[in-house]
Amino acid sequence: MSQPNAFSASRRTLAPLLMALALAGCAGGPGPKPGAGGPNYAAWPCLGTSLPCGAVATRTPQQKTLDGALNGDPARGQKIAEARNKGNCLACHVLKDGAQPGSRGPDLSRYGAGKRSDAETYALVHDMRARNPDTVMPPFGTNAILTEQELRDVVAYLQASK
Amino acid sequence: MTLTRTLRRTLAAALLAGAGLGAAAAAEVYREHHPRAAIDPAQGAAGDFSGTYGFWKDAAALERHRDWAGSTDPNAWKLNWKYPDLVDSGDVHAGHVAVDEGERFVRRAAAREPGFLACLGEGRNELKGVAAGYPKYDAKLKKLMTVEARVEHCAKAELWDDVRQGSPLNTKIAAYVKSQSAGLPIRVDLSAAPVMAAYRRGEQLFYTKVGQLNFACASCHTPGSIMGHKLRGEVPTTPFGDAAHFPTYRTPVGEVESLHQRFGRCLNQMRAQPLKPGDPAYVDLEVFYTVLSNGYPITVPSIR
Repeated sequence: MSQPNAFSASRRTLAPLLMALALAGCAGGPGPKPGAGGPNYAAWPCLGTSLPCGAVATRTPQQKTLDGALNGDPARGQKIAEARNKGNCLACHVLKDGAQPGSRGPDLSRYGAGKRSDAETYALVHDMRARNPDTVMPPFGTNAILTEQELRDVVAYLQASK
Repeated sequence: MTLTRTLRRTLAAALLAGAGLGAAAAAEVYREHHPRAAIDPAQGAAGDFSGTYGFWKDAAALERHRDWAGSTDPNAWKLNWKYPDLVDSGDVHAGHVAVDEGERFVRRAAAREPGFLACLGEGRNELKGVAAGYPKYDAKLKKLMTVEARVEHCAKAELWDDVRQGSPLNTKIAAYVKSQSAGLPIRVDLSAAPVMAAYRRGEQLFYTKVGQLNFACASCHTPGSIMGHKLRGEVPTTPFGDAAHFPTYRTPVGEVESLHQRFGRCLNQMRAQPLKPGDPAYVDLEVFYTVLSNGYPITVPSIR
């Protein structure tokens, strides 16, 4: 708790100096420290202009072509699609054998029964913005949310969902 | 004295230049925005765009569907989490404790330095109704002020004490100040030009996509977005009416949190770097967000 009276006498003398110090602090003050062991997202665009991430550009939409054969593993793909710290596709989509799905995106539980090719599916998961600029789906490839192999595994899982 | 004045002027000039550069840099980088929803700021909470206002606008409306509260009914989100405000079980939760501790601090501090209470009360030795007008523009300080910023400012100016925004003590005092306006409708004054300008900046931030997931606030909290849909176990609700119950005791977190701390938590989920409580961008966002609660009564202490 404070002891305001102890400082009252010197307040008048100190005020201008401390105000200057406070102003100096505003000009180049350090940003928030990431919580102990917490994630650090400083490399991605943030709100406002007081932190360096305010000047980080959003990555522009990419139309990505699948190189070679898919070589994805459906079982691994399912784990990635369900994991909250990976694809977390379940947050918005109904998926084959997935518990507690979201409801915003299309139902993908029989995706593989459709006619979309591996290449098209890969491109959409990589960056849906190339198809729909207003999508709320994160650009999993462009923003490195998933690795190249993880993308291929998720596509294999979707294609195996029938 | 002359030297100090010169120093202060130089610092002010440097600050202005810095701000200018920051704005220019921000204008240059590529950003995406969620499609805009129609919001009429003059309507406040009643202008809710989710079609749910009729379910949470007052106690009678909430009582009509009390069976939805805490249930898995797909309509439960329409109560906008206002139902906990109705329940008076007589139990004391951490929100009450925070208000009590905030009050104790204010009383003790004001007994030593009466100026502290007068500063919080903006000239009156009374806090009743004060918080309902926040955030506001302070013409003397030439600054937009939130309740938390006022607490920090008054502690500094009158107690010579650092009670930084985001600190537990600041949040407790802010909760106490807010509780002194409990039941009163929020009245953010948009007729003040700096407040309206902040509203427009905050609105722009609300739609700006950030973070690794490339989400905006609006990605989850506008019609046609994820709002009202299941996001795994959660259903994002309308942003209207929300500011009225902050600072609030958050049971999933186990702490009393200010609105800025809640913003930070949301941004972390979007995988974006949170800002420091009190950051100008958060203040703008709070102005926008609180205008969406205009006319709705303050409910502090509260539990969510």
